[in-house]
Amino acid sequence: MSGRRAIERDRTKALTFLLSPITLLLGIFFLIPLGIAIVYSFLEPGLYGGVVWSFYPYNYGRLFGWPLGAGEEFEPLYLQIILNSLKYATLTVIVSLILCYPVAFWVSRMSGTAKNLMLFAITLPFFANLLIRIYAWLLLMRPTGTINSTLMALGVIDEPLNMMFTEFAVIVGLVYVLIPFMFLPIYASVERLDWSLVQASQDLGATPFQTFRRVILPLTSPGILAGCVIVFIPALGNFIVPSFLGGSKVQLVGNVIERQFLQARNWPFGSTLSTVIMVSVMLVVLIYFLSMRSASRKAVRKVSDHG
Amino acid sequence: MAKRRYISIGPVALNIYGMTFLIFLYAPLALIFFYSFNANPINMAIWSGFTLDWYRMLFGMQPAGAAFDAAFTENPDRIYQVVRNSLIVALSASAISTAIGTATALATARFEFFGKRIYQALLFLPMIMPDIVLGIALLIFFVGAGFKLSLVTIIIGHCTFLSCYVYIVVSARLVSMDTALEKASADLGAGPITTFRRITLPLIMPGVLGGFLLAFIISLDDVVITYFIAGVDTQTLPLFILAMLRRGIRPQINALAVLLIVFSFVVASAGLYLRSRKT
Repeated sequence: MSGRRAIERDRTKALTFLLSPITLLLGIFFLIPLGIAIVYSFLEPGLYGGVVWSFYPYNYGRLFGWPLGAGEEFEPLYLQIILNSLKYATLTVIVSLILCYPVAFWVSRMSGTAKNLMLFAITLPFFANLLIRIYAWLLLMRPTGTINSTLMALGVIDEPLNMMFTEFAVIVGLVYVLIPFMFLPIYASVERLDWSLVQASQDLGATPFQTFRRVILPLTSPGILAGCVIVFIPALGNFIVPSFLGGSKVQLVGNVIERQFLQARNWPFGSTLSTVIMVSVMLVVLIYFLSMRSASRKAVRKVSDHG
Repeated sequence: MAKRRYISIGPVALNIYGMTFLIFLYAPLALIFFYSFNANPINMAIWSGFTLDWYRMLFGMQPAGAAFDAAFTENPDRIYQVVRNSLIVALSASAISTAIGTATALATARFEFFGKRIYQALLFLPMIMPDIVLGIALLIFFVGAGFKLSLVTIIIGHCTFLSCYVYIVVSARLVSMDTALEKASADLGAGPITTFRRITLPLIMPGVLGGFLLAFIISLDDVVITYFIAGVDTQTLPLFILAMLRRGIRPQINALAVLLIVFSFVVASAGLYLRSRKT
């Protein structure tokens, strides 16, 4: 009896030893800061960048039109920027999905060594510095850049194409920076795909399109969904890509937050925008977990119904 | 391979598509590489001969070619200083995170405890939280709590997400590991610490080292979180590059970029190799 208790005591000691560091680290330097950022979003911006510690919900009023007071006015521009950021994040997700999906099949059909090398080659660019990857596209797309110089030298165009500081440039930049996040989860589910089901579908006379829609797509949907979520989230908050490739033309919510903190020095309003992103992220993750459950159930059902 | 017959996209089309994808990934980086050796100081898109001058200028050496405007030369002492800062941050943050992440992975892989699911969910949060949200939250916290923004605050900030990264890498290894050896060791009377030191640690070592190297590179390359919590007097290499890019594009940036890419790729390759290695 006392032996079991001693084991129990050792176990508790070991667990305390192993878990205290992460608990302290994430508690003090992750959860508390995020909590304080939310608290800040309800404080009054003071003069010269300070805050006044009084309940002040009007930062949200400035953003959403309610509640208003203390001289804050509804500024629809910010809501427009948030919607715009959602649009850019969605476009980034769609473009990277279209780019990655066929590549995942390409890699999954390779033999052992080639497959490992290819996975390595696709993961590696993620470890190149973010700024340098964006800088590369700056070199390619600016008026005197590679693409324009080449096209003009070949006589295809007379005037440089205006690619920089456009919606296109920002999407290209975001896709380039985030694409490994889309590829890896999609690849993981393509790799697990049971090809005998595809074969069965074809043997039973399904057209390639039917096989794709009824068998391949549902079976790879967990990877697609995971990829979409982990591309969408960083695309939503990114401010480095739009600040270099979008210039002053493309303003995303990340750019506004950066300015509120480092230039306008209105930390409460910056925190308000940041809280809105935080809440959106939580919602997306929640929806992901809920739909992942039902999607995997549905996929199994669909395949057994139609296959 | 019967499955080949059943795929509707022709292998040729798929091969072309795949190759194009690889070109998309690597051509922009290769471009910087070629530009870094181009002697043309005005327009780097037009080749005017091979030079190493851009690299020479980074290290404060006299350019061998045409005379360059001194105002366009970076101060090499400044570069050494920011590289030193970056290495201090990356080494400390990845070492601390490797210890914390490995301990956490051991706890979740080898113990059942109350709230385990919550821990596992919590450990994913710092990885998915957009950098800017974490960056400003840490800025508010550090300023409010009276921390002086410095290399120390950067190290702490990096540890929050790197620990979770190492946790994921090491967990994957622990879960796939055969526990028979650990059980045998315990049956033969070895205490938990001996078993860990003699059996578990050597078996997970490649994962731990791989996690450490990848965390090191992620820390070394971090821009956004560092940007908010570095304060005015402290600069890391990515912040230095950010400032350089904001002042305008000059050929030295290419040389610096190539050196950083090569270094990142070498370390990351070692990390990826160790992470994927079978025991």
